[in-house]
Amino acid sequence: MDNNTKAAYVSMKSVGHKYDPRPETPMVVQDIDLDIHRHEFVAVVGPSGCGKSTLLRMVAGLLIPSHGEVSVFNRPVTEPRDDVGIVFQKANLLPWLTVRKNVLFPLKHKYGSYSASDEKRANELLEMAGLTQFADKMPDELSGGMQQRVGIVRALLLNPDILLMDEPFSALDALTREQIGFDLLDIWKKNPKTVLFITHSISEAVLLSDRILVMSKRPGTVLDLIEVDLPRPRSSKTINSPRFAELTDLIRGYIYEPNVPA
Amino acid sequence: MNPTYQPKSWLAQQANRFAPGLFFIGLVAIWELICRFGNVPNYILPSPSAIFTAFFDVEFSRWLTHLWATLRVALMGFALSIIIAIPLSIGMMRSELMNRVLYPALIVIQSTPVVAVAPLIIVLLGTDDPSRVLITCLITFFPLVVSTTTGMLETPPEMIELSQSLRAPRYRETWQIRIPYAIPHIFSGLRVSITLAIIGAVVAEFVAAEEGLGYFIQFSTSFFKIPQAFAGLIFLSVISLLLFKSIQWIQAWWFPWSLPKKK
Repeated sequence: MDNNTKAAYVSMKSVGHKYDPRPETPMVVQDIDLDIHRHEFVAVVGPSGCGKSTLLRMVAGLLIPSHGEVSVFNRPVTEPRDDVGIVFQKANLLPWLTVRKNVLFPLKHKYGSYSASDEKRANELLEMAGLTQFADKMPDELSGGMQQRVGIVRALLLNPDILLMDEPFSALDALTREQIGFDLLDIWKKNPKTVLFITHSISEAVLLSDRILVMSKRPGTVLDLIEVDLPRPRSSKTINSPRFAELTDLIRGYIYEPNVPA
Repeated sequence: MNPTYQPKSWLAQQANRFAPGLFFIGLVAIWELICRFGNVPNYILPSPSAIFTAFFDVEFSRWLTHLWATLRVALMGFALSIIIAIPLSIGMMRSELMNRVLYPALIVIQSTPVVAVAPLIIVLLGTDDPSRVLITCLITFFPLVVSTTTGMLETPPEMIELSQSLRAPRYRETWQIRIPYAIPHIFSGLRVSITLAIIGAVVAEFVAAEEGLGYFIQFSTSFFKIPQAFAGLIFLSVISLLLFKSIQWIQAWWFPWSLPKKK
């Protein structure tokens, strides 16, 4: 099997889904074709209710599409995989566990226990995210941005190859949001992952990703797949570049006038 | 708009602090005055001072015997209902069949007034502790089932997805996610149940008992020792209040994260 970076790693082939199998019910998403390369950062943008999250759940194996097929590394996804980490909207931390125990929770939950070396790994990840001093605090003692960092660190614990992020920063204020975006890119550079990033922020998608899947409103279909040719590393300067404005305008055009092709 | 912040004067602060206590003292004083100057006989409405004296008409060891009898039944009934209600809720949450079979039965049990069933239970189980414990348990367990089940079912779907994405066994989903998530709900159920437990124990004592505060109140009333009955009632309120508070203390001590956030 081909393992180089240009091979399709996550692959969706004419994927569609409806929750209700009766013929008259509408599809949530329809005819989605997408190949994500290994360690590529792909963002999905689209209006609310277009099925972005449905797409993510299919890759996660939490939802089996009623039409078409999602495969990872040429194997169809039929159940949740071990090499997938999920970052949820609003952090989704367990309020009864300390930050460190939240980070270790995937091991505790999956296997029932964790070792001293696991704890060491958790501490290293916390340090990388600048959270060492918060390790023994409870989640509600942290700001929203900090909480979401913990959410990211938790998703990285099992060292997944695929990181699925479901509007992870949507609950954060604009300044925190931008900063944590750059931090995410930093983490991604140190630990290369295949990232599927769901967002409803156009600028966030352009700022972070290699490619952007633009979806129509329900039933969600692919309007365009845009190559983000902005140089890396990206920074706040990227936002001021003319190309950044061009790309965001292009996407905005799709979102507001969905029937006009670019 | 918000008024400009002004620090309260010392007097206003003190008034604020002691207001609940003063209100209570005021009520007792009015009660005393009505009894004294209204010539209300003690067997109709005893004055606070008469009630106070009545405390000492009864030997301290007898008070303790009655108190312990009621407390014992209430706590055993409460414990039994925890032991039954929580596993039952877990079972009903996990199994659709169990839910469908048990839920109507629970509703029937809850809609039957336990006070009416109490004599039948005494006939069935005799006049000792077991029947009183069962009566208490019947009164207390429904709020616990409801709160535990509600808490577990209200677990956010994202937390369940986290569990599913890890392909964790279902018992860990229950044990490590749903039950901890239900803790605040369980504790509100416990707070309701603990006060019901005292009610249950007293109801049981009204029906059949040789000791206990419920029995003591009934016994005193039938001999027109109304001040004594009131004294017994005060004991009941105090233990009820203390038990209620202990539930809050236990929650604050073991599950501080589950308390509502102070602003």
